[in-house]
Amino acid sequence: MKITRRDFLKTTALTSLYFAGFGAAGYANSGTKKNLIVIMLRGGMDGLCAIPIKSDKNFEKLRSKIKLDKTLSLTSDFDLHPALKTFKSLWNQNQSAAVHATNIPYTGRSHFDGQNLMESGGKIPYHEKTGWLGRGMKIAGLTGNGLALALPMPLLIRGVPMNNNYFPVGHKLPYPSTLKMIQDAYKQYDEKLLSENMEIIQTRELSNTSSDNSWVLASNAANELSKPDGPKVAVFEVDGFDTHAAQGSTNGAHADCLSDYDNIIRSLKSSMTKESFDNTLILTLTEFGRTIKQNSSNGTEHGYGSAVLMAGGLVKKAQVHADWPGLKKKELFEGRDLNSTIDARSIYASAMSTVLDVDFKRIQKDVFWGENLQNLSDKLFKL
Amino acid sequence: MKNFFRKVAFGIGPKEEVPTDPLNWALNQVNEIPDLSWQGKIYSEKELRNHYKSWVYGDRKVLRKKYKNDKNLYKTYKNLLRHETGQKFWESLEISIRHNEGINSQHPVLAKLWMFWGNFFAISEKDFLANYSTGPYQREIIRPNLNQTFEKMVYDVTTSWAMIHHLDNSESAGPKSVTASDEWRRRKKRPATINENHARELLELHTVSPKAGYNQEDVVQLAYIMTGWQQRWSKTRLETGNIWFNSEYHQPGKKNVLGKTYKKGRKSLALVIKDLVNHPNCRDFVADRLCKYLISDEPTKEMKQPIIDAFKKSDGFLPEIHKAAIKVAFENNNKFKKFQTPENWFIQVAKIGDLQWPPLPEIMDSYELGTKPSRKQRSPERLLRNLGHHPYRAKQPNGWPDHSDEWISPELLIRRLVYAKLSHSFSKMENNNNEYYENIVQKNFDNPGKIMKYIDQKNRIVEKQTLLFNHPEFLKS
Repeated sequence: MKITRRDFLKTTALTSLYFAGFGAAGYANSGTKKNLIVIMLRGGMDGLCAIPIKSDKNFEKLRSKIKLDKTLSLTSDFDLHPALKTFKSLWNQNQSAAVHATNIPYTGRSHFDGQNLMESGGKIPYHEKTGWLGRGMKIAGLTGNGLALALPMPLLIRGVPMNNNYFPVGHKLPYPSTLKMIQDAYKQYDEKLLSENMEIIQTRELSNTSSDNSWVLASNAANELSKPDGPKVAVFEVDGFDTHAAQGSTNGAHADCLSDYDNIIRSLKSSMTKESFDNTLILTLTEFGRTIKQNSSNGTEHGYGSAVLMAGGLVKKAQVHADWPGLKKKELFEGRDLNSTIDARSIYASAMSTVLDVDFKRIQKDVFWGENLQNLSDKLFKL
Repeated sequence: MKNFFRKVAFGIGPKEEVPTDPLNWALNQVNEIPDLSWQGKIYSEKELRNHYKSWVYGDRKVLRKKYKNDKNLYKTYKNLLRHETGQKFWESLEISIRHNEGINSQHPVLAKLWMFWGNFFAISEKDFLANYSTGPYQREIIRPNLNQTFEKMVYDVTTSWAMIHHLDNSESAGPKSVTASDEWRRRKKRPATINENHARELLELHTVSPKAGYNQEDVVQLAYIMTGWQQRWSKTRLETGNIWFNSEYHQPGKKNVLGKTYKKGRKSLALVIKDLVNHPNCRDFVADRLCKYLISDEPTKEMKQPIIDAFKKSDGFLPEIHKAAIKVAFENNNKFKKFQTPENWFIQVAKIGDLQWPPLPEIMDSYELGTKPSRKQRSPERLLRNLGHHPYRAKQPNGWPDHSDEWISPELLIRRLVYAKLSHSFSKMENNNNEYYENIVQKNFDNPGKIMKYIDQKNRIVEKQTLLFNHPEFLKS
């Protein structure tokens, strides 16, 4: 173990001073449209695979088979997985950062309960019928401003009406007059949700014959997000992080998933206007991290603490923000997982406050039921 | 009342009589497991596993050698070759067999329940399972168990090749097992550890659910019990060998799961499954899932209780559980209408619309091994993928959701609009008349006048079908 928790906090403080002169030019103009994008990483993203700690002998020993033989350098304490090339290039421009040793306050290690909670923001699985982002959008009055790049409507943005999604089928729609008749029937039967969706189908301008490849989806989303009257919130999904076997290291299953994430931010960056990207924040969300120790199938099991990756012009500066808990056995959660010292919901509440221009306390009270969350806006984002 | 035929099955076809006693019509279908009604060739799970082995690994060996220096080129050619040699054929054949049970068999209620259990014990998209194994697993493991006990079903599922592969149990080795002290482990730095994946899902998804309050240690202990159940590995077959209990991988000593103790050995798996299926949370979980599938997004205690009672009274005998669920569905028929999942919806479209679906057995049988399947031979897989509900390609081991909110979004509704429209291309010429629509609407709706007035707003058959199959009373039953 190279750094102690106290040393790390000190390092962070020094780094903050070092960067104090940067970023001011990129402050968002309050009159400009700001975008919040969340990329859900399903299956349990291994924060220590994406952002491994440097020179920790214990960590290296526990991961002898899956440790990265090649990394990109981030800070004096952390490296970056080489699949995250775009993330690194944004880092060099002060447009990406991470929070480490963080997660939602869920320790049950079930994917499905965990994914439900990461989207709802609650503490009891399947209790909430809306998502934290949907509730935040509702408070901000963002009706009709959500776009999911997925087939179903993720729980995450439910809670505000008229969200759209895009995942083109490759066929043309029936005639408008037929659609209108179907919508009339929905109205007659008081099918509000069906009717609302049909309204979107009839009025939107997205092409149904484009591709559903994630790169193309991200590019189409970028175009929409760049429009002054376009959506302000977008949600992506990347599956496959549940690597119980053959997790791989520099290459392999986890690397492929990280690469999928990286491709999305690459496509967003290249297809958004500069002004739009400068006013955008892209966050990741996962249900849990993975065990420190590899198993005998060269994979990892369900864990607890992970990392949140952040990108876009609204990121304050290139940094790994953490209250590092350490990786000695006694410092691990239940002796096996990276601990979470920052409630990830603090990051999401702060992000919503910053991007959706809603008072943090209001988000805390009305989105997260008054839970004890920390306002990290000034530490992580451009205000 | 007529929506009951779609609630527990797929509606009434144009040439079928409307049953006069709907409840008994449904109850009588769940006692026996008749032969599949598909008239074409049906391949055994083992045969298809052989294809898995020879095609997947055969291709891999040759191509890896050829493109050993270019990973991307290797991937491209591997996919191309597999596509050209028919890897997509098998799942289309399996879907045809499955849909045929819903559309053309004498026991569509059993078919709908078969689909429920296939999803309850879901095999999600992983490696080539969807291509070769998930369909046969549902045919050979799930279906024959529909008139057995839930306990037997869970045991057979847990020790099936497909589930063991799906949830990595072959990778699990007891840290104190015989293999733990193997020299190669020390040399290759691969100490024996458990893989928790299968044990966790056996608790969470297949039996008691997290509501039972088990903890991490329970998961670990169950994983210890399960160590040794694995694919018989060999150099020629790799992981496509049969499932066996390899005692060298089994963790010795007693184990403790949810407060009960189990001795070491092969038999402990059956014993722990017996206790798990008799746990009160397991009965509640099964009742909840069945109600969510057939009746309502939010099952009430009153809905679940008769199913829980039937489970308890019959020791988990599935026909009794099914009958209780059907009765509850019948009693709540008018009060609760369930938004049908895309696959269920499409089978109803095909049956009521008398579509040329699934592709005929002659068409599927004309497929020549190793060649590229025709468009028709590939159509089932493509269609279900486009609907967003491919039964062998759920994203995660919890299978496809039953809650309506998960199936309502602009894109998912677009797919129903598009496929209702495209259904016209599967229509039979002889049905191209108004009498046909009057007949099916009469048989499937309690208010035929109102439905006919709605579809008569359009003259062309393609639009009539688009309207009918997207009508709120068709979407929900």
